[in-house]
Amino acid sequence: MTEIIRVKNLTKKYGDFIAVDNISFSVKTGETFGILGPNGAGKTTTLEMIEGLKSLNAGEIYLDEKNVQEKPHEVKAVIGVQLQASSFFDGLNLKELLETFAALYDRKVDALGLLKSVELDDKWKSQVKQLSGGQKQRLSIAVGLVNDPKVLFLDEPTTGLDPQARRNMWDLITKIKKQGKTIVLTTHYMEEAEVLCDRIAIMDHAKIMVLDTPINLLRNAGVGTSITFRVDKQCTVEHFQKLPAVEKAVQEDHGYRLISSNPELTLPALFKHESDCSFRLFDLQLQQATLEDVFLKLTGKKLRE
Amino acid sequence: MKTTLKLTSSVFKMFVRNRQALFFTLFMPVLIMTIFGLIGFDRVPKTKVGLVAENPTPATQQFIEQIKNISAFEVTLGKLDDEQTALSKGERAVVIQIPNALIPDPAAKKVPTKQTVTILQNIGQAQQAQTAISVISQLLDKTRLAITQAPDIFQLEIKDTNARNAKYIDFLLPGIVAMSIMQMAVFSVAFVFADYKEKGILKRLIATPMKPRQFVTAQVIVRLFVALVQTAILMAIGIMAYHAQVIGSYPLVFLISVLGGIMFLGLGFTISGLAKTVEAVPAIANLIVFPMLFLSGVFFPTTAMPEWLQHVVNYLPLTHFATALREVMGDGAGWVAIAHHIYWMAGWAVILVGLSVFTFGFEEKRV
Repeated sequence: MTEIIRVKNLTKKYGDFIAVDNISFSVKTGETFGILGPNGAGKTTTLEMIEGLKSLNAGEIYLDEKNVQEKPHEVKAVIGVQLQASSFFDGLNLKELLETFAALYDRKVDALGLLKSVELDDKWKSQVKQLSGGQKQRLSIAVGLVNDPKVLFLDEPTTGLDPQARRNMWDLITKIKKQGKTIVLTTHYMEEAEVLCDRIAIMDHAKIMVLDTPINLLRNAGVGTSITFRVDKQCTVEHFQKLPAVEKAVQEDHGYRLISSNPELTLPALFKHESDCSFRLFDLQLQQATLEDVFLKLTGKKLRE
Repeated sequence: MKTTLKLTSSVFKMFVRNRQALFFTLFMPVLIMTIFGLIGFDRVPKTKVGLVAENPTPATQQFIEQIKNISAFEVTLGKLDDEQTALSKGERAVVIQIPNALIPDPAAKKVPTKQTVTILQNIGQAQQAQTAISVISQLLDKTRLAITQAPDIFQLEIKDTNARNAKYIDFLLPGIVAMSIMQMAVFSVAFVFADYKEKGILKRLIATPMKPRQFVTAQVIVRLFVALVQTAILMAIGIMAYHAQVIGSYPLVFLISVLGGIMFLGLGFTISGLAKTVEAVPAIANLIVFPMLFLSGVFFPTTAMPEWLQHVVNYLPLTHFATALREVMGDGAGWVAIAHHIYWMAGWAVILVGLSVFTFGFEEKRV
């Protein structure tokens, strides 16, 4: 798989404040790449430097084998952009708006078809100010697609949307992903990154803390799966502690919680222990760790504080 | 080029669908012209004359009728007390007391006695009072001549001549045209671009391969076209509804309008660059535009101003814009006659467009 974006030693400073600190990564053609982090981590700045909207203090960026700093116009021609909370002209309907944007790329567009793909085709006569938040974000994606881009950048596409609109947006992004487009998105929702992204870079304080697939992030972060259950007889915590792959065992109000690095090993041993010591397990629950836990472990703080 | 054309047509659609912009560019100027036209600064106000005559003889009554018929007078007949009160309230310029037997009866063949006409004049309206007094004394002279039958050795011969009399509307129309183009160019650009910047629309635009000058060009083309339409519509209304006389060359009028448009578009872009928020636009723009509106001879000639002020006024861009239009429209001036106004306007255009290059940018000017 070829790399469509290569970022090397990227740095951005505003006076003494370092917004992006010497980060490097690459994005493969066709993948959905997520940059995850709290507000102010440097996600948007990173994205806008790749999009050619902001100058760099150091480093270099190649997109589709073009140096972004040297050929910003050529790069802008092959990317589609959704800016954070961007709005559009008043006084044009959605169809006219898409056609105007297509003209900026010197092309023609099937505006109604594009609106249909984001489920706004029945709204083509409306103006932007008449749209709801979710509709505006979908329009914003449609505008980002007018030039049939190789890479689509989405800066916090679901921030400020209600849960229903967020799900719709995920479906839409998944659909675009299936068309084979490379997507780079930022988010501060863990769930969103897990659902949508093939690989995730977690950013905090201007640096990339870790970059991997969601599964590896969970596995390697050592957060473990939690197994909770209750028993009908008094047991000792020490016994559970000795079960394979158990990292921690604690007694809680109504039962026990085991943190396992490998539940496939822990669970059979737990069942064997049950029959050996003749007690009965009930209310057994398995809780997969989430990226939220990974982030908490990496940074010592919650994602949205 | 194709991009710029498409942008121009989109920008045009946005402009004509913006009711607020249309109101300020077309409706407001027409409204102002109507109001000033209705006030009618042409009409010389009539001199208010109070007449007091208790019980005039028929001959005196005839004399009073003569006074009443003078078109420059608005005559009120009343009692002395009432008229004096009216005078002290400033409602009369003069109050004339006429003795009952001012004019001797032509039938009675005796030597008339000397009669006194008392005139109370309002010092606050000295000019009108003086006019009234001289008219009355002329009338008395004429009457005396008629009665004493002295030979008349002077004769006034007054001939009607057709002159092109500049009416107030002829002064106002070019001023209104200049004013509306200034308002349109400054406010529509400053508001729209400050809004685009605040909403992130400009940033979204430079995320495309478009060059900023393509977008600016489209905006400028549309507004210069609007300036031409404004000029045409205001002239048409001025001529048809208010009988303004436009005797100069139309192409020259339109050319001046475009130059004025360029000049003030430069100002508009400069202001939108200076304004950090949309709210700051009216503050900055009005600070510049408002004084100019009243100092540049849009509504009234600048000749009434103190001399030092006239020197200042002669530097203002709107002064040269309005004056150039006025000289062409009203006096039929040609290119050469207005050349120095054109140079001034071109100079201002260079300065203001230059300034806008410094202050105006698509990108946020961050450290």
